[in-house]
Amino acid sequence: MAWLSLDDLVEDWSQVESAPEKLEVFFTEDLWPPDWSVLEAEEWADGSLHKPNGDICNEDVELFCSKAWTGMLITIKMAFVSTLIGFMFAVPLASLAAGNLTPLPIAIPARIILAGLRSLPSIIWALLFAIALGFGPLPGILAMTLYTIGYLGKLQYEAMEGISNAPLESAMAMGLTHSERLVHVVIPESSNHLLSQLLFMFEYNVRHGTVLGLVGAGGIGMYIDNYINPPFAYDRAFALLIVVFVVVVIIDLISMFIRSFVTEEGDVKRPKWWTVLLPAGTAADYYHKFSKGKKSDTSIGESE
Amino acid sequence: MVGEGESSGSVEATQADDSQALVLQDLSVGYNQPLISNINKKIMPGESIAILGPSGIGKTTLLRTIAGLIRPLSGTISHDYPDRSGIGYIPQRLGLVRHSTVRSNISIGARSRCSKWYPALFPLPSELKNDVDSAMESLNIMDLADEPVRILSGGQQRRVAIARTLIQKPRIILADEFLGELDKDNVKSIIEATRKVVDDIGATLIMVEHHEERAIEMADRIWRIKGNQLIEEGDLNQ
Repeated sequence: MAWLSLDDLVEDWSQVESAPEKLEVFFTEDLWPPDWSVLEAEEWADGSLHKPNGDICNEDVELFCSKAWTGMLITIKMAFVSTLIGFMFAVPLASLAAGNLTPLPIAIPARIILAGLRSLPSIIWALLFAIALGFGPLPGILAMTLYTIGYLGKLQYEAMEGISNAPLESAMAMGLTHSERLVHVVIPESSNHLLSQLLFMFEYNVRHGTVLGLVGAGGIGMYIDNYINPPFAYDRAFALLIVVFVVVVIIDLISMFIRSFVTEEGDVKRPKWWTVLLPAGTAADYYHKFSKGKKSDTSIGESE
Repeated sequence: MVGEGESSGSVEATQADDSQALVLQDLSVGYNQPLISNINKKIMPGESIAILGPSGIGKTTLLRTIAGLIRPLSGTISHDYPDRSGIGYIPQRLGLVRHSTVRSNISIGARSRCSKWYPALFPLPSELKNDVDSAMESLNIMDLADEPVRILSGGQQRRVAIARTLIQKPRIILADEFLGELDKDNVKSIIEATRKVVDDIGATLIMVEHHEERAIEMADRIWRIKGNQLIEEGDLNQ
């Protein structure tokens, strides 16, 4: 069935045959090797070093004046601000959309608002804001914020609906209000999911900030846009994409570290910060060795 | 304790201060079909009642209906309990917030004593914070105050659930098989702690129990569900 649909969609299969060859040419002639000059400051004709905005580079480390560093820093700041603001709006909206917290007449309009916000891709929001406000980081931040509310709100109301009913029922029986149940029961109970989604959204916005740069929203995407347009410098664009990849991996590691405090595995004693990368059992073994046979106290319940 | 031939639960049989009683009148509970029908009972303040019956017969449904979590199929439940903090409900799975600390869990119960306009993000008033500490002390869980509930043993978690209910100062406590499958020693200490709480705050206790001997140890009256009828144990003995 899928094959038939695919065959129906693809009119000319011969284009697939030449694809590997074209890709190889593109990769060997245009992309490889990456041009790492993007990690250096710009050297002007008089030999002075400058930042991408033309300011003189006074940093001890040249990297801090490079396009990769300054662009990535702007992209990370944009992603951070829009993720945080988006999160602050997404949580209350998600709580109104969650079926176990709110009656349907309220939940359905809240879900429609969230669906509306995420049905326009952030690049379209960025275009709209760029038309209204001009180029720069602000349209990018607004675009990512709106998309974050829609996307994160959806993930969050599903996480909220997934929590155990028992604590909610206890809170309802004792007469707690919607906001009290949200703050003291639902958010702590779904903290692992909410935190994971928040960090994923930050990572998503960093990646997406790269794309938004293409429509003039600033950040590292703006430099990538410059390099993939005439005069083409794909090797430099490739180097910047590798930088984005490395940053995404680092964010993923930080996310694992932060989440390790709210998961069940957070109860396992970890002697070094990097042991959050290990499964709980392996980390516990390491802890035993590290503490030279000192008795483990992984769980108060177990120790009874 | 259950006295032989006691049948003080029926609406007709009571004469004490009716205004403070919990009255179930012509009550039918269930989801689509009635699980228990035609319940007519009056429960006076300070009474302890255990509900017995096989699994799936509607014991939990009755408790949830009294707690106001599901609507009765017919009949009425009347009481003068306050909207907030009047009812303490301990579900089968205890209803604790697993990722929160012991102190935070007990504070949830204390919050029900604040006005409903008291902002959810504000910390508890200091007198309630002191009450939280006293509740933890009285249930011997003070040393676990800052531990997340998920790492506690079953017995410790039950103490937290009781402390959360104690601090509410509810007029009625609805407990659904909250002793679970604990060992004898733990059951004994939890029963003692619960009895103390119930006596201290003068609350009514309605509990669903699986183990008959525990029910007899804790309750003044026993209701047994047979078929789809709720029968007072005293009536059976007559």
